[in-house]
Amino acid sequence: MSWVAEGFIRDAIRSAENFGVPTVAMATMPSPFTNQSPGGVESMVSAGIDQVIQGLTEPPERGPAVDAGFTTITEPMLNFEGKDLLDTMEVMNRQFLEWRWSDGFPLVPPTPDRVERMMAGTTRDPQDVVTTLEPGFGVATVEKIAANAVMAGCRPEHMPVLITAVECISEPVIYLRNKAMSTGPHAPLILVNGPIAKELNINYGVCALGPGSISYANSVIGRALRLVMMNVGFTYPGVSDMDTIGSPIKYSLCAAENTVASPWDSYHEDLGYAPDDSTVTVHFVYGTCELYDFQNWEAEKLVQGFASAACNTVQVSTGKWLVGRRSDPRYHTEEKEHHFMMICPEHALQFHRQGWDKQRIREEMFRRARMTFEELMIGQEPKAFEIAHPEMQWLWDSPKTMLPVVESPECYSIAVVGAAAGRGAFFWGAGAPVTRLIKP
Amino acid sequence: MVKLEVVNPQAITQVVSVPLAPRLSEITGKRIGLYWNMKAGGDVALEHTARLLEERFPKTEFKHFVGSVGASMRHATAEDAELVAKDCDAVVGTTAD
Repeated sequence: MSWVAEGFIRDAIRSAENFGVPTVAMATMPSPFTNQSPGGVESMVSAGIDQVIQGLTEPPERGPAVDAGFTTITEPMLNFEGKDLLDTMEVMNRQFLEWRWSDGFPLVPPTPDRVERMMAGTTRDPQDVVTTLEPGFGVATVEKIAANAVMAGCRPEHMPVLITAVECISEPVIYLRNKAMSTGPHAPLILVNGPIAKELNINYGVCALGPGSISYANSVIGRALRLVMMNVGFTYPGVSDMDTIGSPIKYSLCAAENTVASPWDSYHEDLGYAPDDSTVTVHFVYGTCELYDFQNWEAEKLVQGFASAACNTVQVSTGKWLVGRRSDPRYHTEEKEHHFMMICPEHALQFHRQGWDKQRIREEMFRRARMTFEELMIGQEPKAFEIAHPEMQWLWDSPKTMLPVVESPECYSIAVVGAAAGRGAFFWGAGAPVTRLIKP
Repeated sequence: MVKLEVVNPQAITQVVSVPLAPRLSEITGKRIGLYWNMKAGGDVALEHTARLLEERFPKTEFKHFVGSVGASMRHATAEDAELVAKDCDAVVGTTAD
């Protein structure tokens, strides 16, 4: 039996159904135990202890009847009526909003004809199962992905990128259930590498992450992935996406790499792919800040500034290595916490002129982005640190010891993105990025 | 009136089913597992749960567990769950927020 906060009842019931135990016993308390004083926790437990006793001794019934928070419909086709075509489109959009199937922006109707055309963008059969997406265990057929791609405004040629992105987020190491359902603002950052980026006109330069017409492909591919997470994975806000505040970067976050201006091998070549291979990388990230520096040309000064971006005590991944590694218990996966750095061409060229490659930058970031043990432990559970690193408990006696904010230099992923002027972007990551080869 | 037919974008779901553990006929004298996923406050809640149960049901034993994998959230693997099931008659968990 499980303690559940009232604000999470709908999430808990839906999760219990999804995970195959719809009648799991729950004791409810008014607030989460987190951020409560010991006295506050104890008074909530005292008030709810009878529910615990009942849960341990009486066969549980199906959870209390609550509004599911979204609508499930299994019919393959849906019909709408309006006084003209535009009105009918609005009727569909209003209905999808009511069912919670929308990301909030107007959706393009996924008519059979449009979905058919969308599926022509891939050689895969419409009923091919690409994967099953958590948390709802939705079966991601090519047709369902295509329907969401149409709604997002994609073109058929975007399908191979989108399908590969869906494959990426279903990799066990991503632990999608964690990122989709969390109270944190996990956004799937998509990086496209290889010839397909140019073929699809995926923006890598000015305003690559949008908005704007020049980032059309970026915008709709990123949007489609979010819609797939919602309507195929059942990651519905307020039900199975418990993001406390939300984030605008969850709508869409996609770019290509600026290989034209980059002095280095591309991101996917660093991973061993050939330049002619096309790949998709997905990294769930929490948020972003600038890597701004107009002042300096010396690599040492540039990287010193960049390192300050990684030193943010209230970012969940900062120092997380001290309490272990993110893991999906079903697959025994382990993820180191990575950050994603989009270095702008101006800065990349300065580094290159001074003989710095990406590995040197990673090593310097690792060396310079350090904080004291006591700062890193501010938001961490001491008992988790004790379990993860029994050999490091001496740090309690030396709280001013400087430690790296991530586990190793490889935890800084680097790609060159953007246009002229010394402004890059730093993304605080959740776990590690996953890269896959795009197949037609 | 204009009619619009669209493909349902919502996926069919795969159904998973896990048998529920049998309930206890009584709590007194049983061994209760207390599973904490390491989220703040969960340990305090479980300690107090044990204290209150012990007051009402003397001779009840308690055993604490955390998952063997993870970081700020520690998760139980299938092997962990099997060990807990072998060792305890019932489990109370604090597994989320």
